Amino acid sequence: MKVLIIEDERKIADYLYQGLTEQGWTVDVAHDGIDGQHLAVHYDFDVIVLDVMLPGLNGFDILRSLRAVKGTPVIMLTARDGLDDRVRGLREGADDYLVKPFSFIELQARLQALTRRGRAQEQTLLRVGDLAIDLIRRKVTRAGQRIDLTAKEFALLELLARRQGEILSKTAIAELVWDMHFDSNTNVVEVAVKRLRAKVDLPFGTPLLHTIRGMGYTLEERDAT
Amino acid sequence: MPLDGEPAPARADPDEASRSWPISARLALMFAATAVAIFTLMGAALYRVLDRELDHYQSEQMQGRLADLRYLLEHGRSPQLASRATAKMEDMERSDPHTRYWLWSADPRYRYGDDAERLAREVDPDGRIRVVPDAAGQESYAMLGAQLPANDVRPAVQLMIGMDAGAIAGTLRNFRTALMALTLAAALLVAALGYWIAVIGLKPLKQLSAEAQRIGRNRGGERLRLPVLPAELLDLAASFNAALDRLNTAYQQLETFNADVAHELRTPVANMIGQTQVVLSRSRGVPELREVLQSNLEELERLRGIVADMLFLARAEQGERAHDLVAVSLAGEMGKIVDFFDMVLDDAGMRVQVQGDAQVRVQTPLLRRALSNLLQNAIQHSLGSRLISVRISLRDGAMAELAISNASDPISSEQLRHLFDRFYRVDDARHNSGESHGLGLAIVKAIAAMHAGDVLVSQANGLVTITLRLPVAASPP
Repeated sequence: MKVLIIEDERKIADYLYQGLTEQGWTVDVAHDGIDGQHLAVHYDFDVIVLDVMLPGLNGFDILRSLRAVKGTPVIMLTARDGLDDRVRGLREGADDYLVKPFSFIELQARLQALTRRGRAQEQTLLRVGDLAIDLIRRKVTRAGQRIDLTAKEFALLELLARRQGEILSKTAIAELVWDMHFDSNTNVVEVAVKRLRAKVDLPFGTPLLHTIRGMGYTLEERDAT
Repeated sequence: MPLDGEPAPARADPDEASRSWPISARLALMFAATAVAIFTLMGAALYRVLDRELDHYQSEQMQGRLADLRYLLEHGRSPQLASRATAKMEDMERSDPHTRYWLWSADPRYRYGDDAERLAREVDPDGRIRVVPDAAGQESYAMLGAQLPANDVRPAVQLMIGMDAGAIAGTLRNFRTALMALTLAAALLVAALGYWIAVIGLKPLKQLSAEAQRIGRNRGGERLRLPVLPAELLDLAASFNAALDRLNTAYQQLETFNADVAHELRTPVANMIGQTQVVLSRSRGVPELREVLQSNLEELERLRGIVADMLFLARAEQGERAHDLVAVSLAGEMGKIVDFFDMVLDDAGMRVQVQGDAQVRVQTPLLRRALSNLLQNAIQHSLGSRLISVRISLRDGAMAELAISNASDPISSEQLRHLFDRFYRVDDARHNSGESHGLGLAIVKAIAAMHAGDVLVSQANGLVTITLRLPVAASPP
């Protein structure tokens, strides 16, 4: 997966480069609008991270010239959380936006969502280690043993399994499972994960559902912690 | 900081002063203008009266003098009537040099005075005074005339009398000049007196200004002393004091707010510094380093949360309003939030009962955030009964009310008053409990304000009830 980062703030560009490279992305970085536009228009990327405030050309200009030639998914980084920039970005063809300052986990999740959107292959059975989730019959088994889950627990497990190995923040989970789009300082997600863990992990010894402190949760099979 | 101004009271800038006159000068000027207007009107009226009276007097005098001559001409039967009449006229002219007589007739014997023929044409035939210039055009006469029809001894004659018009005109002129001089003098006097009165009358304002200057030298609850002021200024002073009260409250809030923010931020920062110092003081393995970084990340997340919430509150305070409003059912939204909290409620062994419904126009994510904060607050502070009750009702048709009640220990009214303040926690021991940072209810209040609603809190029978009021959605067109 190739990603282009157009961002003039060195510190942000640097940690995005490192973080995404380590996650297996092929990363190109442009530090100003002119380079960015050149790269975006003349080369092919799977997704582009585009800052609005740039020296040379601003993000909206680049978006417009990019959209004139191709439909590469674009995620805009807006500095203010003023509504105008967001609305304008989406209207001019951005696929998503993040308000600065944003968390790396959040960006990674959005990038994956955008690149996944392209290849919509509907799976019916998800597997993580010895855990099997039947999406059609809504049944969960681990090591051949049936696990009964409530609807919300199932939705949470399905989300984690669809994005196995990916770290999901509490905010993202609240958004995707409960459709709660706001910063809630609640422990709802923690409680839900605890319950899910009690059913899915506890009886079986090897944990699949991991807490990444300060970041969120991930579902994956690990050899050793 | 607004209250930290220089000790010197702010002077109005000189430009301002020249544009707006001092009150005393303005009053003096207005008094003078009024005096001029009144005196002018009175002068004009007096002048007219005098003019008429003089006319009248003159007319009577002339009529009286004419009467003698008329009598002679009407009743005289002497054949020398013409010479007797002219001789009498001559006599009368000699005795009073300001009065002249003329006689005109077709018969040359009955003629007297220069230029009589011209004057006979100009004099008023109806017996009114008319001012007529003499032949040389140097003097003018106020003239009266009388037509005497012919009788058996003489032909028809016209008898005329003229008085020097200059004397009366002079009197009127003198009168006018005197009036104008008096008016001017009176206006000046009134202006001076008016100024003096204004200065005396405005003394309380000076006092007020001195009072105001006294305030604020040493910060504190100083106020204007009302008893020293006259009734008219009491309102002003009371308003001023009320403004000071509000400023003082705002200032105190700001001060405690700064302290709270500092305290709130200090703890996580100190934690991070301490942990990092400890871990860096020795050589450590990767798991230990990771542990500290993760712990730091948690603290940083908390800081981020606080900062984001404070920015949200700041924007709400700067008057940001909710947008993208849609009509939603309060019960429906509350139901979604209860669903969201389902597992938490289950863990706590609590139940939520929602009654009633109302449609409100809101920005949905904001409403959800408010409801979530309210429910979380109720869950956290519930004691005793495990039931949280939510009642939704309409009030006055324009506002919808959502009242959420939970059982609680009694809370003092002082604590209730501060419930919606930032960083306020009823239970100090909960400080830094991790889950909330004391902004939840402040955010509820801000969200209510962004929708032109409000929040209130009440306490009765061991229940604490927080009521969120929002404008009702207009019925669908």
